[in-house]
Amino acid sequence: MVAILGAAMTKFDRRKDGSSFRDWAFEAFELALDRSQIDRSDIDFLIVASESDFFTLQLNPSSILSSDLGLGNTPSVRVEGGGASGQLAVHAGVNAVLSRQARHIAVVGVDPSASQLSGDTIRSLYGYSFDAWTDGMTGATSTVLYALSAQVFMERHRIDESHLNQITIQNRSNAMANSFAHLGRKHSVSEIVGSPVIASPYRRLHCSPLSDGAAAIILSAEDAVPNRRRSAPRIVGVGAANDNPRLGNREDQGHFGAKTKAMKKACSMADIAPKDIGLAEVYDAFAGAQSQALFALGLSHEIRRETADGRFSPSGELPVNLSGGLLVQGAPVGATGVAQVVNCALFLEGRNASKLQPSTPPSHALADTHGGVCTNSAITILAQPDAA
Amino acid sequence: MIKKDLTLEYTLSPGWMQPWVDGLLKGVAIARNCQSCGHKSFAPQRVCSCGCVEGSWASLSGLATIVRQTKGADGHFAVARFEGADNEVVVRLEGFGPSDAKGILKVPPGAVPQIILSPLESNAE
Repeated sequence: MVAILGAAMTKFDRRKDGSSFRDWAFEAFELALDRSQIDRSDIDFLIVASESDFFTLQLNPSSILSSDLGLGNTPSVRVEGGGASGQLAVHAGVNAVLSRQARHIAVVGVDPSASQLSGDTIRSLYGYSFDAWTDGMTGATSTVLYALSAQVFMERHRIDESHLNQITIQNRSNAMANSFAHLGRKHSVSEIVGSPVIASPYRRLHCSPLSDGAAAIILSAEDAVPNRRRSAPRIVGVGAANDNPRLGNREDQGHFGAKTKAMKKACSMADIAPKDIGLAEVYDAFAGAQSQALFALGLSHEIRRETADGRFSPSGELPVNLSGGLLVQGAPVGATGVAQVVNCALFLEGRNASKLQPSTPPSHALADTHGGVCTNSAITILAQPDAA
Repeated sequence: MIKKDLTLEYTLSPGWMQPWVDGLLKGVAIARNCQSCGHKSFAPQRVCSCGCVEGSWASLSGLATIVRQTKGADGHFAVARFEGADNEVVVRLEGFGPSDAKGILKVPPGAVPQIILSPLESNAE
């Protein structure tokens, strides 16, 4: 078990206020450190998640941030795993604690995915997140590849665009309660179906925005948790797995198989079953990807009916993406997975600033991230300290 | 604000994928044949799913069947299966109409290995 002593994030947004990714990392780290109730000098390892030097124009960002965060001679490392960078950085932190390499670890995820380069440039760079020499050179975008995968899933589960619209509307509604979310307004079905088709079946409003932002957590070894933070949520399970990066090489192009494998590992480590998860932040880069994730994670067996019945709504049996998810809270890549853990930790502790904070937090929460079209999956299971 | 213009000109060596890239640039589909199980992959897999690392290269006809497609602001793309290949691959479609179900590999513009299909009928013309 690893304790999350502190968790914080900046607002995700397209920042136009003159601040930089170095400021955002500092802001998230300082607040997480304050909530952790330990001293800066107690941090003995810094792990930075950032997907691409193209975004930051900063090679070796962990060393720069170590200096900016006032961590002196503390060792630092940067973790990259595409869209899963943040969650994999959390895993690296958990592994470092469990292997006794460090007692208190800061994990900081950050990326300027919106304001420093044009949207077209960012989208072009994302196109090289898959196999750059096949899909990338051919010009297939992230939306194209997700759309081709979603089509298989939608046909199999007999779901249509109305299902995508329902997820979009629900996540937008959730984000209205979250002051840290990038997009701040609801959209009607007519607005969604009136938005341009980017890659059928996906319209623009079925896609997550490009965002700037940072998120940070402070991890602690169990025997180094200060008494005043004994109530901190724990990480009780982590799991990761990969799939073939090329869609055409997969036997089942609609199934996020890596998630199923990663979930099995995480549940085994946590000694729980998927049914024990009471709240989930899942990787909804596109509306259909949320359903693909829930099915692959074993959190839904009848995705069409359960979505229509509101099982994943805030008042449902399994609230999903209370933050608004990537679709609405936003997706500054390196920060995304860390922010999912931040939201889960704060929800479990009953101190999430969202108006959707459950009055009785569940015993377990799940953060699910992936890179590529679920090429590399990373899952973290959190628990209340008494359930851990 | 700091304004920094950065232009990058990459010269990428294709390495083990050289035969495949050379073929694409000429509009020829070159598949990787697994020495152990005979699995033919286009795009090529360096290590076959059977675990074998040895393989050879062979030309395919360049004909491909569309499995599913997507169209929109990002362009017209599909998952396609090339004749003679045992796997599928994402391709860009150029000039395809609603009834076009087959295509043939096209010589890409420039020196960039792109997998582009033209409709079979127009190519025959």
